[in-house]
Amino acid sequence: MNYMPGTASLIEDIDKKHLVLLRDGRTLIGFLRSIDQFANLELHQTVERIHVGKKSGDTPRGIFVVRGENVVLLGEIDLEKESDTPLQQVSIKEILEQRVEQQTKLENEKLKVQALKDQGLSIPRADTLFFFFFFFNIFY
Amino acid sequence: MFRYESLEDCPLDEDEDAFQGLGEEDEEIDQFNDDTFGSGAVDDDWQEAHERLAELEEKLPAAVNEQTGNGERDEMDLLGDHEENLAERLSKMVIENELEDPAIMRAVQTRPVLQSQPGSLNSSIWDGSEVLRRIRGPLLAQEMPTVSVLEYALPQRPPQGPEDDRDLSERALPRRSTSPIIGSPPVRAVPIGTPPKQMAVPSFNQQILCPKPVHVRPPMPPRYPAPYGERMSPNQLCNVPNSSLLGHPFPPSVPPVLTPLQRAQLLGGAQLQPGRMSPSQFARVPGFVGSPLAAMNPKLLQGRVGQMLPPAPGFRAFFSAPPPATPPPPQQHPPGPGPLMQNLRSQAPVFRADTTHLHPQHRRLLHQRQQQNRNQHRNLNGAGDRGSHRSSHQDHLRKDPYANLMLQREKDWVSKIQMMQLQSTDPYLDDFYYQNYFEKLEKLSAAEELQGDGPKKERTKLITPQVAKLEHAYKPVQFEGSLGKLTVSSVNNPRKMIDAVVTSRSEDDETKEKQVRDKRRKTLVIIEKTYSLLLDVEDYERRYLLSLEEERPALMDERKHKICSMYDNLRGKLPGQERPSDDHFVQIMCIRKGKRMVARILPFLSTEQAADILMTTARNLPFLIKKDAQDEVLPCLLSPFSLLLYHLPSVTVTSLLQQLMNLPQSAAAPAPSNPHLTTVLQNKFGLSLLLVVLSRGEDLQSSDPATESTENNQWMQVMFMATRELLRIPQAALAKPISIPTNLVSLFSRYVDRQKLNLLETKLQLVQGIR
Repeated sequence: MNYMPGTASLIEDIDKKHLVLLRDGRTLIGFLRSIDQFANLELHQTVERIHVGKKSGDTPRGIFVVRGENVVLLGEIDLEKESDTPLQQVSIKEILEQRVEQQTKLENEKLKVQALKDQGLSIPRADTLFFFFFFFNIFY
Repeated sequence: MFRYESLEDCPLDEDEDAFQGLGEEDEEIDQFNDDTFGSGAVDDDWQEAHERLAELEEKLPAAVNEQTGNGERDEMDLLGDHEENLAERLSKMVIENELEDPAIMRAVQTRPVLQSQPGSLNSSIWDGSEVLRRIRGPLLAQEMPTVSVLEYALPQRPPQGPEDDRDLSERALPRRSTSPIIGSPPVRAVPIGTPPKQMAVPSFNQQILCPKPVHVRPPMPPRYPAPYGERMSPNQLCNVPNSSLLGHPFPPSVPPVLTPLQRAQLLGGAQLQPGRMSPSQFARVPGFVGSPLAAMNPKLLQGRVGQMLPPAPGFRAFFSAPPPATPPPPQQHPPGPGPLMQNLRSQAPVFRADTTHLHPQHRRLLHQRQQQNRNQHRNLNGAGDRGSHRSSHQDHLRKDPYANLMLQREKDWVSKIQMMQLQSTDPYLDDFYYQNYFEKLEKLSAAEELQGDGPKKERTKLITPQVAKLEHAYKPVQFEGSLGKLTVSSVNNPRKMIDAVVTSRSEDDETKEKQVRDKRRKTLVIIEKTYSLLLDVEDYERRYLLSLEEERPALMDERKHKICSMYDNLRGKLPGQERPSDDHFVQIMCIRKGKRMVARILPFLSTEQAADILMTTARNLPFLIKKDAQDEVLPCLLSPFSLLLYHLPSVTVTSLLQQLMNLPQSAAAPAPSNPHLTTVLQNKFGLSLLLVVLSRGEDLQSSDPATESTENNQWMQVMFMATRELLRIPQAALAKPISIPTNLVSLFSRYVDRQKLNLLETKLQLVQGIR
């Protein structure tokens, strides 16, 4: 059935495996079982996937009910291509450790940049360079 | 246990036309349940209803036998008059429809098969007239208000004592209005507001008589259900003496409702019988759509009672009938017993008729869907690639035991809400990008069709209902009995919370930087204002087409006025003054949005105004080029400028060329370097513009060869200087132009000799362009 052609309706996505990105940064993967008009989602056999760098780890979570406003995006997972991911699957414990590592690294970076700023040097990093340009553009 | 102890208590949860339903807020109605959308009318659970009735039958015979003896004797006198009426109706209900009713026929057919099944309900209450006659007893006794369906047939509600109420609550939910016009779904003992949920599986072995699953419709034109106030409560409907509704007490759309107890029993019972549907039953369904049943069967076998037979087959059956403009009551009934398929098919029109209350466009959409389903099934039954792909999807669904948790009904419910959200009085205003996108797509596909007579790709379009604009005058909330008016702050009537005072800054305080920043901000504001004007002007064409004759001159005036304002904005509105400074314009042109906007405005300006803009641009081109280094948006101006050039006279073109190349007024010795020209040539836009100007000049020249006018002379002079300059410029610095006009070779050939011509050609890559 072609529900509402030309619109973004979730009805045709029901009972398919989806990847849902939430506003708090979590990535959930599960079967979309039901929806409502607010795009509240009910996910079944949900797995929360944490990924750090090239590795990812899954935590089984069961059934999720997600309030619509917290969803950033969601997309269907092609079951055949699902295994083609470049991410390396690791155990949950390991991925959590990795994540902690990553967090501490980021924090250190931040402190460094802050220290430099205080000293008057602002060295824009490669990924923040874009934002500099962007900001610059607004006035020109 | 449930809320409605009696018919009188239950609120009128009628099926409302969605648009009207929204207005009624004061009832305890969840406007988004299936009643609102009338999916209740598109009712597919007659099967389960019959199931339930069959369940009831278990209780009834006991009760019947019990009560018949007692009640009949006592009550017979009381009911003397009523009895006749009732008898009439009951007989009507049974006899005339017996042969016509497919449900009966089916029931009759399948009964022998099912007798053998253990634990199943062997016969329905509604089998044949004997049963009904049996029941007439208790009816007359009026002590059997439990069977809600029958209750419906009563002209009056039986008097009930308090103990009856309790009994009632155990046995059956009071019957709600089941008028086909109103067509509400059955009440379940769940609070209003829960989305509709499919009830127990309608199984084929339950033969529940639906004496006439015809959509009973008194000869009334199909119309949207009456607004809330006009409808009668179920109670009233029952009391109406010769109501046609009573004549057919078993309208198909609403099955009698079960108590939670019964429901639980049913479900519990059903779960113990996983394989209820015997293969033989399927065998009896020869041509029926193979796949849905096949899909059904394994699911049934898994014992999932609650979801099966999703309205899938039933639902599809709904729409297998072609959509009549006004759904006629089904005219054809199988003349005699026919296969199950026929029965179901004939029931299709019944349910098709239920959709009258839907918006006609929505109905069309549903029909579209149904057509696609048919296509799907055809594919599945056939051997297409599409079919195989889809069957693999079906496979997935089949293997997935949790599939279809969301019922078809619920999906429709959500999609109906979404459709409602798409209602709009002015789609161009509300949904501009969507409209434009689909128009473009349509144009593309139309163009493609014209090109090749390929298979017409049916792209399903979403048809959104067009709603008439309702003017809502906002009335502030008024409380009764209050002295004076209370101001309640709401969305429509916001209260001023902060007293923000605008303080104008004094001039001396400002520093240079601030001034610059302010100036920039002012420019930005001007751009925004002009842009709004531009959007309005661009929209006039559409409005013109939609407007009436009288309004058109006014529209044209408005449009002209707006165009003038735009131009003033661009050039710096200083009426009465010669426009001495280009500054204003240049400021606008420094901003990316400004450039794009100028490109869009140019087609609307008059020739003089546009020429003025062009000249100013040419004059300040190096500066603009410098400022455009990052954005690189100037090329967007090329095409409107080219178009403009074709309207310009020779004089203008000449002076334009002068400006562009910054050529001195006289043919005196040229300056050693011409940075202006260098910059221009080094920029894509600049070079392209130059070439276009040259081309235009050449056109003018060649079209007017004989005249020895001052204009021509001027042009030739300028050309000489131009070629001289061009020869001087080193090639490496040249940009790649957007387009190279073809007549430049002939142009240059007039003014330079062969050798230099070749030089020019290679430099400007003119020949290459031709090659």
